[in-house]
Amino acid sequence: MTTTEPTTGTTIGGMGHRVKRKEDPRFLRGKGNYVDDIKLPGMLYMDIVRSPYAHATITRIDATKALAIPGVLAVVTGKDLDAAGLAWMPTLMSDKQMVLPVDRVVYQAQEVAAVIATERYIAADAITQVEVDYEPLPPVVDPFKALEADAPLVRPDRDEKSNHIWHWEAGDAAKTDELFRQADVVVKQDLYIPRIHVASIETCGCVASFDKIAGKLTVYMTTQAPHAIRTVFSLVTGIPEHKIRIISPDIGGGFGGKVPVYPGYVIACVASLQTGHPVKWIEDRSENLQADSFARDYHISAELAASNDGTMQALRVKTLADHGAFDAAANPSKFPAGLFSVITGSYGLEAAHVAVDGVYTNKPSGGVAYRCSFRVTEAVHTIERMVDTLAQQLKMDPADVRMKNFIPPEAFPYKSATGWEYDSGNYPGALRKAMEKIGYADLRKEQAEKRARGKLMGIGISTFTEIVGAGPSHTFDILGIKMFDSCEIRVHPTGSVIARIGVQSQGQGHETTFAQIVAEELGLPVENITVEHGDTDTAPYGLGTYASRSTPTAGAATAVAARKIRDKARKIAAHLLEANPDDLEWQDYRFQVKGSPGRSVGMKEIAFAAYTNFPSDVEAGLEAVDYYDPPNLTFPFGAYICVVDIDRGTGQVKIRRFVAVDDCGNIINPMIVDGQIHGGLTMGMAPALLEAITYDENGNMQQGTFMEYLLPTAMETPAWETDKTVTPSPHHPFGAKGVGESATVGAPPAIANAVVDALSHLGVTHVDIPFTPWKIYQILEEHGAAE
Amino acid sequence: MHFTGTQQIKAPVAKVWQFVLDPNKVAECAPGFKTMDILGPDHFKPTLAVGIGAVKATFTLDVQLEDVREPEHAAMRGRGAAAGSAVDMVAAMDLKPLSDTETQMDWTADVNVSGTLASVGARLMEGTAHRLTARFFDCFRQKLEESNDVAGAGATTSAPATGATGSSEAS
Repeated sequence: MTTTEPTTGTTIGGMGHRVKRKEDPRFLRGKGNYVDDIKLPGMLYMDIVRSPYAHATITRIDATKALAIPGVLAVVTGKDLDAAGLAWMPTLMSDKQMVLPVDRVVYQAQEVAAVIATERYIAADAITQVEVDYEPLPPVVDPFKALEADAPLVRPDRDEKSNHIWHWEAGDAAKTDELFRQADVVVKQDLYIPRIHVASIETCGCVASFDKIAGKLTVYMTTQAPHAIRTVFSLVTGIPEHKIRIISPDIGGGFGGKVPVYPGYVIACVASLQTGHPVKWIEDRSENLQADSFARDYHISAELAASNDGTMQALRVKTLADHGAFDAAANPSKFPAGLFSVITGSYGLEAAHVAVDGVYTNKPSGGVAYRCSFRVTEAVHTIERMVDTLAQQLKMDPADVRMKNFIPPEAFPYKSATGWEYDSGNYPGALRKAMEKIGYADLRKEQAEKRARGKLMGIGISTFTEIVGAGPSHTFDILGIKMFDSCEIRVHPTGSVIARIGVQSQGQGHETTFAQIVAEELGLPVENITVEHGDTDTAPYGLGTYASRSTPTAGAATAVAARKIRDKARKIAAHLLEANPDDLEWQDYRFQVKGSPGRSVGMKEIAFAAYTNFPSDVEAGLEAVDYYDPPNLTFPFGAYICVVDIDRGTGQVKIRRFVAVDDCGNIINPMIVDGQIHGGLTMGMAPALLEAITYDENGNMQQGTFMEYLLPTAMETPAWETDKTVTPSPHHPFGAKGVGESATVGAPPAIANAVVDALSHLGVTHVDIPFTPWKIYQILEEHGAAE
Repeated sequence: MHFTGTQQIKAPVAKVWQFVLDPNKVAECAPGFKTMDILGPDHFKPTLAVGIGAVKATFTLDVQLEDVREPEHAAMRGRGAAAGSAVDMVAAMDLKPLSDTETQMDWTADVNVSGTLASVGARLMEGTAHRLTARFFDCFRQKLEESNDVAGAGATTSAPATGATGSSEAS
């Protein structure tokens, strides 16, 4: 199947239908159920005292004044947690992280103590009355300085007395070096991908409720991975896993920021155990921006070797990864630098070598996979900039260099120079479509004409390859738990269905798309299919939603579980049709006797028979579960072309047009895919033009509100032009690949390449994101082009 | 943040010295001064309400005088905490008589603001800190010259200090 034209009717609404989202009626009417909507009887409120210093020893904590405020019931400190063995917790990356500090803080806004009170306002007032004395220590903010011999030590608790966390590499160093020695051309470029924040609309929070009678801890929590959290909580606290229930209700955006376990969750649980009351903790916006885990922050040094005709041969990359004070990224265990080695992109390189060093600094944890499958954004930005750097050096058109170096469609499955097996792709097809849609040749003419008149116009291309759907159990695990995912389907006697899945929606529309998968596989109407997720007491175990993995893993599990149901249904159908099961075929979403189209039965009738009239050798009921272990990752791709105009008077970069041709394999719901791409492009534009987190020399984070941390609004967002090609994944049960992150990953380099292209005739060869007016104006002034 | 400045004060050096060593007089010049505990001749705890942009914080500073050499040099070290924010500062001044009725004060200050105030007011931080520090030292001059007027000593009327408003809530 290479088309996504639906084959079911609109009543069934299976694959390819633009089914309206089942979740929207409650969201649009303000009837969503987010964690802050949850109110339990006797519930208390928690607020957190945070460190003003990026690095300091704590000499005294005195809660007397806070405890004297009426309504304040408890103040939890690191010493209290230490007594219970909970002052530290493990991170997902085999490091450990402070829940509350006993004697030192290692980043600004770090949690220092928590106040529990009967009202939220009382808790907020009381945190100002907890007296904490600090003795400031010199902080280290720059990861390069952190590696110097006399740098302040961020983590004296570790055996290794250095700020170096790990070294990781991939590819063939010797072969790469050899190709570099022989190459006609070598281009080199340093790139910095700044620290950014996911800034989801809903901040993090939880309601922890410990039932002393049942001995059961229930936590309503903003998490993208409820099952893994339950296991971690059980291992850390010693509470048996069946006595822990994690409920992830409606989530107001996750984007990777809601994968880690934040100290606030643990403190709230301890506070509930201690007080015997449910305890609610909700971050405010500044806390969320200052203290939650961050993304990117990669200092990259890249070199590309090529021949004079533009044939790319080898890539050599060294990177310093600023992970903050705790290595609390949520990568698969074996991948401390995520899937960064997909950095060879869409191009057929002979060899590549990538090395990454993780470094501690006095900042909150880094390494959140912000709408990106574990460091793929950094990888894609690097290779797409390097291709343009080569094109500029050789005075070739960047589209020609790409066409020359693409992995050809007939080469798939393709083994990349760093060891990945790309499942399928048609890169020239996608780029040609994008070039036709935007009128590439005419744009180049227009650019030449405008340049002659002194106008700054740039055209940028990004032909990215994503790597998503982690992942196969032989390679992918988190804390040892393999990265399968799951679905459990029950068909009720009247033919309606409940499907429970191991992944957790944060806005992706799972209640709709997973119902469409079941509808497609069983031929039952989508409106009669309920999808549930996020409650560990009812949903099957799964690793959660991030890294565009839901459709590749749990989506596959859903199809396979439905096919198991179909296998059983075949026996019941044979019984109803008085035929041999082998003589039946699944045709037009019904079982029919081969050669007798008149003799057929649909799933609704079969479901009723499964409870009322089943054959003697078949169990009653109609249900199945599947834990799907994907055989490989999937590799969505796309071709994006961006046109920018730069104002020489202000340095403002304006995106005039942006064409995005995406290929995510077969599509479940084109409307939801469009939405994912529109949102993703906007989130990809944001770090290119607006967003970056910076620190002063004392380790103060300088973007503590949305006044300083600029998010795109409708004002800044251009009218995206989207299109698609369809190259199904050969190994996925219904040929899908995942799309949630393609646009966030693919958009920044298209914009970066357009900006450099607009300035290239001035001698500019590279500019780091974000392209703020001030930065661009300075460059224009340096080159005598400012007005 | 490192700041320096110079004031020329129309008062004899002994009078200036007397003023700057009087914690109550100095405190009145501190930005957003509210109250003060005097713990000893060289140890004070003033409470100050300071704002950067839209964010206001009330700091209790712990101030220690250091390196006091009458009548030419004194230094102070201060540290204060407010909700989620902290300030650390070291300031020093040198007095030099220009004539019997005029004194030059050279001052330096190193101020570090940490925490929420620095995060949410980053863009305004340097400007605000410089302004508050300069206003602090300029206030000495103003007060000393005012007392000249009140006492009838010193014939010249001083022009209003630039940028100083005398507001008790600094922002």
